Amino acid sequence: MIGPSALGDGMFVVDPSRCIGCEACVQACGECGTHRGRSLIHLDQVDRSTTVQTVPMVCMHCEDPTCAQVCPADAIKQNEDGVVQSALKPRCVACSNCVLACPFGVPKYEADFDLMMKCDMCYDRTSQGVAPMCASVCPSQALWFGTPEEFADTRRGTLTNEFQFGNETVRTRVHTVVDEPGPLQVTAGPTESPWQDDPFGLATVEA
Amino acid sequence: MTAPATPAPRTVPTPGADAPAPLDRRGLVVGVSAVAVTIVAVFVGSEGLRWFDAALAGYLAGTLFAIFGVAYRYTVWLRRPPTARLNRRGWEAFLRPGRRGRNVAHLPGLLVRNVLLQTFILRRSISRWLAHQLIFWGCVLAVLVTFPLTFGWLHFQSVGQDAQQYQAFVAGIGTFEFASRSVLGWTIFHLLDIAAILVLAGVAIFLGRRLRDPGAIAIERSNDFLALAGLFAVSVTGLMLTVSSLWMEGSFYVFLTNLHALTVILGLLYIPFGKLFHIFQRPANIGIEYYKTEGARGGALDCRSCGKPFASALQIGDLEAILPRLGFDYSLADGDNYQRTCPRCRRRLLTQAQSARVRGFG
Amino acid sequence: MARPPVTEEELVDRYGPHLNETPPGGWDAGLEIDREVKTHCCFCGQQCGVILKVHDDEVVGFEPWYDFPFNEGKLCPKGVKRYLQGAHPDRLTEPMERSADGFTHVGWDKALDRVATEIRRIQDAYGPDSFALYGGASLTTEKAYLLGKFARLGIKTANIDYNGRLCMVSAGAAYKGAFGVDRAPNPWSDIPLADSVFVIGANVAECAPITTSYIWRARDNGAKLIVADPRVTPIARTADLFLGLRPGTDSALMGTILHILIERDMVDSEFVAAHTEGFEEAAAAVESYTPAWGADITGVPAARIEEAAEIWGRSDTGMLLHARGIEHQSKGVENVRSCINVALATGKIGRPGAGVCMITGQGNGQGGREHGQKCDQLPGARDLRNPEHRSAVSEVWGCDPDDLPGPGVSAQEIMDKIHEGEIKGLLSICFNPVVSLPDSNHTVEALDNLEFYGVVDFFLSESAHHADIVLPGSLHEEDEGTVTSAEGRVIKINEAVPPPGNARRDWEIVCDLARRLGTGRYFDFESSRDIFEELRRASAGGTADYAGITWERLEAENGIFWPCPTEDHPGTPRFFEDGVFKTESGRAKFAAITFRPPGEEIDDEYPIWLTTGRVISQYLSGTQTRRIGPLTEQYPEPLCEIHPSLAEEHGIAHGDIVRVRSRRGEIELPAKIVTTIRPDTVFIPFHWPGAKAVNQLTHRILDPVSKIPEYKVSVVNIERVAAAPAEPVDIRDVAVSFGETR
Repeated sequence: MIGPSALGDGMFVVDPSRCIGCEACVQACGECGTHRGRSLIHLDQVDRSTTVQTVPMVCMHCEDPTCAQVCPADAIKQNEDGVVQSALKPRCVACSNCVLACPFGVPKYEADFDLMMKCDMCYDRTSQGVAPMCASVCPSQALWFGTPEEFADTRRGTLTNEFQFGNETVRTRVHTVVDEPGPLQVTAGPTESPWQDDPFGLATVEA
Repeated sequence: MTAPATPAPRTVPTPGADAPAPLDRRGLVVGVSAVAVTIVAVFVGSEGLRWFDAALAGYLAGTLFAIFGVAYRYTVWLRRPPTARLNRRGWEAFLRPGRRGRNVAHLPGLLVRNVLLQTFILRRSISRWLAHQLIFWGCVLAVLVTFPLTFGWLHFQSVGQDAQQYQAFVAGIGTFEFASRSVLGWTIFHLLDIAAILVLAGVAIFLGRRLRDPGAIAIERSNDFLALAGLFAVSVTGLMLTVSSLWMEGSFYVFLTNLHALTVILGLLYIPFGKLFHIFQRPANIGIEYYKTEGARGGALDCRSCGKPFASALQIGDLEAILPRLGFDYSLADGDNYQRTCPRCRRRLLTQAQSARVRGFG
Repeated sequence: MARPPVTEEELVDRYGPHLNETPPGGWDAGLEIDREVKTHCCFCGQQCGVILKVHDDEVVGFEPWYDFPFNEGKLCPKGVKRYLQGAHPDRLTEPMERSADGFTHVGWDKALDRVATEIRRIQDAYGPDSFALYGGASLTTEKAYLLGKFARLGIKTANIDYNGRLCMVSAGAAYKGAFGVDRAPNPWSDIPLADSVFVIGANVAECAPITTSYIWRARDNGAKLIVADPRVTPIARTADLFLGLRPGTDSALMGTILHILIERDMVDSEFVAAHTEGFEEAAAAVESYTPAWGADITGVPAARIEEAAEIWGRSDTGMLLHARGIEHQSKGVENVRSCINVALATGKIGRPGAGVCMITGQGNGQGGREHGQKCDQLPGARDLRNPEHRSAVSEVWGCDPDDLPGPGVSAQEIMDKIHEGEIKGLLSICFNPVVSLPDSNHTVEALDNLEFYGVVDFFLSESAHHADIVLPGSLHEEDEGTVTSAEGRVIKINEAVPPPGNARRDWEIVCDLARRLGTGRYFDFESSRDIFEELRRASAGGTADYAGITWERLEAENGIFWPCPTEDHPGTPRFFEDGVFKTESGRAKFAAITFRPPGEEIDDEYPIWLTTGRVISQYLSGTQTRRIGPLTEQYPEPLCEIHPSLAEEHGIAHGDIVRVRSRRGEIELPAKIVTTIRPDTVFIPFHWPGAKAVNQLTHRILDPVSKIPEYKVSVVNIERVAAAPAEPVDIRDVAVSFGETR
């Protein structure tokens, strides 16, 4: 039942820079009790032809979720502990407004079920004080779950839960790791930084 | 280190709240009108209350309240910006000149698949679908029997003197006759029992799923359970009436009648507020089907980042129009809108910003 | 004789690999969990703790085991989906004999009698060593021990070896030479304590994924990370310093670094003088290895090599981690010794956060190589040539030391002898040589020469296609016992479910076979625990001393690091803390390593280097992991990684089918055009059989000491044979999930 959960000050941190693209999270996500057999986490390539960097993305659980606001059916609910639930199955009319509006690209439209599904931070686990599946297994701990104190004790980097998309600042329950305080500028555009003098990029090669 | 979650800066309707707070004038008007129309229909259909059964007055009151509540809430719901937009778009798409014929032709199929057979649930799970179908058809059956009876639109009269032969009257007009001891007669007099058994079977499957599945329990809302409890109570008390009259020589009949009436009326009162409101919401999916078709015809929008088509230009345009009204401003410095980025690129941009630009990795 | 009885297609149709996609009953079955069994993942040498969920004697799911200290719940995708190898439609459950139309079920009696008869017949006709045994490093230590004993006393053949020969034997030989003991000298918990971490020849993210978290813990503590690899691997992408060296030049890189350490006075002379020997010779060997020379050989800019030497040399503590990249070479031992030289020169050994560690790859790669499964070895990591060792073990076994055969030949050499007709019979357990050994066409020819080939396995591997008798053995979760992880931590494997149908535990099969051969008195074991108890005694006093280890202690203490000579001994997580090494002199030994080229070098005909390796979703020859749907879908078939500049030279576009040809054979596969590999090198993963087997291309030149094949360096040429198929091949490494709107 929705109510006081053991989530407490449990904090989810996503640090994509560490991701090794192993897909342990993808495989474990499908074992989550609230959506068995269906993986809801995203793991993409940035551009495999030039880098092995991969893109892990769980639901960031916005404080003011764009997905819930654009839902015509009132199907996306937020719990008292800030976890934004997957669409209520009876209500979702499968319009994909949430899929398209989410600034993080998180909700999935499941054509088979004519339903939106998304990460609910393994609510069956986190509401009992157990870490979510993906953060439990993640070998690089790019996906991390613990308390702010544990993070401060064991990890480097500054936490932020603010993301800047153009004029919009989105605050989330999930944090990421940056170098300096302040929102992560998602739409600021790429910076050309030759990596290690660009091994194998070989400036002359058109990738 | 930043502390976790602090209150949101923006004050818009909390997504957690089901019912809107202040009374909505338009909702009131629509609700009252719906009730008025129903009362007129009852008056006319029962030949000026001639066939109205005063014993069912409580049920009528409950039904009228439910009608008011549903109409009110539906009206309010339709006025939320995203809902209003999609509602309008759905009708526009449906009524689009040159497409009307095709749209009407598609409608029966959509209704059968999405509303009657609910095949989208079947793909999720057979047992879930079976449970939902059982409850759905049980309720449909019950509504088809009880509403006309309550409204005085339908009544039965014995034909001849031996009370063996009956005739059904609809709006005071005699229709078919049947023998009470025939299979047809037994079936007609036990339609509600059949409905109750269907519903109970569905409730049992749902409860079984919920009890066995820790995942389902975790995301359980009290609402979910209340709906099942209500269906259970109405069905069981109804069946007990039959049990009492058939096998217990009418013991506790009056008490059971009142108890059943109470559960039914409470159930009716609950419909506009609780989970069962999805009965009225979910069919909006039909409109969405037309909206999607319309979007596909209108062409796709290319992602501003990767250049690949990712969504209908119609829908992205609608979102761009709605979002500011909901308090979001995703416009970019270059005058474009972030919403024109495909979901995959949104995820990618975040990782690139965090890993390559901030942390300097390759 | 040993050609598959029917076509490969028919065998695959009957015995798989088929894909197991869901737990028994499907995702929606809602099965009640009867019990949760704490055990370990079977799919690499790290042996991560995992909890298996059991319903009705079938494994139906998993749960992270947060309390197991090595991985604290973390798992790679293989660990998550390992449970799907249970309740598998391809599982062998009946003993089978080859027949004209495939394999026929025969009872255990008939099958075992046939094996015993063939062993006797072949040994009578051609001598005892004409029958060979192949073991596996995925077996529990009990089974590995038993197999070694079975070779020596059960059938008295010298020729037993195991697929661990294809894993970390170069490292083992190097550590034995330098330190006198074959084990990683530091526990993994030392990695986070290091000021610098040097990873060479180890695709940590894909081959030892949980080690990634240890490296990141080091970095969170401020450590610098250096990675040397011909590919920008996922861990390399985040390194402070990446050295993109040419395949087969590792000892040149490490020699140059030693040269710089000496030149720039970064050698810990005090440590070198007090605890080592051979430094002068080692230094002399690298005297001419200037950064310019190193850059020329390795292809890494001189400044980068200098930077690496500076980071490593100036940091107080440091962990050097290496794996198959440097070990799978015809100079694998020399490569590892060159790494050890660099660690010893800077005194980085025997301290918290200071050491050099091999990352053992196979499930029980460590435990499986300590107790007699190797051709020259007796329990306790003893030497089969050493008379004292022979008598110590003979005493426990109750035999005459003279009854023990001498050392036999290594895994590849056994196959060579089969090819030459010297070895006529083979019994293998948990070894799929057709996929695993280099030059697979040679292997298939060799199997054809066998008069008898018996196989014990749980699935019908590609090698078992050639077998005369197939005996259904047990999976990791169908028996109990111990394994020793890459750290040297002995841990307890628990039985989650019994073997299905008429399948039996491997040790039961071996003991039964010994009884039929009239040597049952040496194999009077009632349980796996009986075997372990004897192993404790047999290893007592040896280097790998398990005498003080009990199963109860393993459970209570989450594993124990050997040596552990007495029951009150806490075990030995870190070696050499007292500065005393296990060599005869008590000193660590430098080695004078002169760079020599790989066994095969590029020329005009074969101008491109080929290197092979793993992908994260597969394990070894894929006998298990190619049967698990979700893993197979991650990387369905081998792809050839080619740099865009090389691809352009040959007119190859992404997804095109290319032919890669070596002196041994050729293979056609889709191209994956990436800038993350050296332009002079192509990479192909090795987990697939038949036409998709990259081992058709690799060669059989072995390291002279460790006898490891040179998988990591061969030479090939490439050409485009076809455009990308209209149905685009799945060129993704990662499941891409679009937020589709249909």
